[in-house]
Amino acid sequence: MKMKTSITYYLLLFCILFSGCEEATKYNSSPRDNFEALWRIMDENYCFFEYKKVDWDEVHDRYSLLVKDTMNQYELFDVLGKMLAEVKDGHTNLISSFDMSRYWAWYEDYPANYYKEIQDNYLGTDYKIAGGMKYKRLADDQIGYVYYGSFSSGVGENNLDYMFMHFKECKGLIFDVRDNGGGSMTFSDRIASRFLEEKMLTCYTQYKKGNGHNDFTEPNPVYLSPSDRLRWPRPVIVLTNRHSYSATNDFVNVMRLLPQVTIMGDRTGGGSGLPFSSELPNGWSVRFSACPVLDVNKQHTEFGIDPDVKVSITGEDIMKGRDTIIDRAIELLLAKADSIEAASKSKISSAGLAY
Amino acid sequence: MKKTACLMFLFLWMALPLVAQSDEEEVPRSINESTMVGIGGYNLRDTYLSPSTDINYTGWVARILNERMKVVRLADYKISRQQLINVEFGSTRNGAETANEYAGFVDYSLGYHYRFTNLLPGLKVLTGASARLSGGFIYNTRNSNNPVSGKGDFDLNLSAMAIYNFKIKEFPLTFRYQAEIPFAGVLFSVHKGEPYYFLTQGGSDGIVRFSSFHNKFAMKNYFTLDIPVSNFTLRVGYLNSMYRTDVNSIKTHVLSNSFMIGFVKEFVSFGGKRLKSNAHRYSSAYY
Repeated sequence: MKMKTSITYYLLLFCILFSGCEEATKYNSSPRDNFEALWRIMDENYCFFEYKKVDWDEVHDRYSLLVKDTMNQYELFDVLGKMLAEVKDGHTNLISSFDMSRYWAWYEDYPANYYKEIQDNYLGTDYKIAGGMKYKRLADDQIGYVYYGSFSSGVGENNLDYMFMHFKECKGLIFDVRDNGGGSMTFSDRIASRFLEEKMLTCYTQYKKGNGHNDFTEPNPVYLSPSDRLRWPRPVIVLTNRHSYSATNDFVNVMRLLPQVTIMGDRTGGGSGLPFSSELPNGWSVRFSACPVLDVNKQHTEFGIDPDVKVSITGEDIMKGRDTIIDRAIELLLAKADSIEAASKSKISSAGLAY
Repeated sequence: MKKTACLMFLFLWMALPLVAQSDEEEVPRSINESTMVGIGGYNLRDTYLSPSTDINYTGWVARILNERMKVVRLADYKISRQQLINVEFGSTRNGAETANEYAGFVDYSLGYHYRFTNLLPGLKVLTGASARLSGGFIYNTRNSNNPVSGKGDFDLNLSAMAIYNFKIKEFPLTFRYQAEIPFAGVLFSVHKGEPYYFLTQGGSDGIVRFSSFHNKFAMKNYFTLDIPVSNFTLRVGYLNSMYRTDVNSIKTHVLSNSFMIGFVKEFVSFGGKRLKSNAHRYSSAYY
């Protein structure tokens, strides 16, 4: 009896000492459990419910009726993907090994306003590539043209220096971010800082510190300082379309604040929430907007930013192989350069590359 | 920050008497050093990386553990010093096997123990405290703006050890059990839902927190057995390590059970002036 007591005692002691031993989480394919897990992840972390006026409890009740214990993984994926699409968010996806649910209507439902084949008529084959940028002088070397197709493609400080040096005789610059679906905000800041003259407020950031739909931190002002390398003070036109999304939207959000910059093309796609990720018990990954980036007026730009000059590619120009937006940008930049030249003649000064 | 400063001061004050006492020397006190490698099971959970879930990632961990123990002059040679350097790296997967998490930690621990040597023949019981500085990361390969959870801890620990020398059929063995629990410290943690990118934009309020049992429970249980074999001593061991925190609405656990193996050496360390004044005690291949 005594022996038994002491064995029990030692076992108890061992259990206390090693209470940290936890089981591995087992794969759980239950449609109901995965539905509830996804709903909860969104409920506690998604950041635009109030702004988009989405009643997430009502969504739960509506989709709960569609979830059956007998449904297979493809049917479940379809239901859960549709539930996520209720928030109309390009940063919100369900990712399985066989598919990725998405909401892309923010550009699929609009004119493309960018055709690579037509752009090739301007770039030709002798354009230069630095980092993720393609660049070339257009309009008799009077205008610099840069196409930056992804903020995930790295752009180094040296890349920017050489690009600006290539354009040193140009009167204006076109920075084309059409069809740029975003990437790293580091590159967005790095490029934008080349156009600043002084430190400026560019946006506010906040995040959800709690699980409630409105448990946000106070907006934190974010400032951007001018680069201490080559900067571009001459006229700039940033070209946008509905597929200028996420980090590109943030880039446009900064660039539109600058006096020498004009935004031209179509409204941007938006996507102003930094996405976070989590996962379901069956291993599917979920991505969702978690941290809103507000503009300088503390307003959301989740649904995009309007251009200063709205221009669309016309059917007639498409037939001719012309890009209406690039043509209009060149026209406007040359006109601006002429007016600056006229003004500078009277002031006997000129704007050069700044250090 | 005041609490941090107090903790630092407390530990420095504990260590202070050691600084002023290394001139006179009688019998050199030897150092017991072991270097062990280990491998075992790893269990990770971090709700920064997988928000609003309770999913554990499991896999393996490999570690290297260096330990040094020496009796010091404090309290008439009744106190010994222990230094531990642990480097570990682990690879884990979720239950569905669709995602990986990697983790790595480096920690240094400095402890002082009062030695009770007369309790039972062959038995030494050591009780004391230690300070540990630890840093590391958990990285989830699948995530967007929350791919990494960085960890940084400074702890004061309660520490106890029992060392028992015994023989099995005239074969001398030494068994040791050590337990360590942090009772106060500071740790680094971002807030739930806060991208690390925001830290560079001035969002660094509340990322260093006082830690104690209300938001952290960690423990190490360390068993070793020393086996003399020919001219060297083999040390085999088992290390159970728990680390659980609930800080800034982020729950984390890092749990491991590792089997260890390595060698022990007992040596006298000469350095600096002591090296010159004790030339008769050694024959160097270098000096």
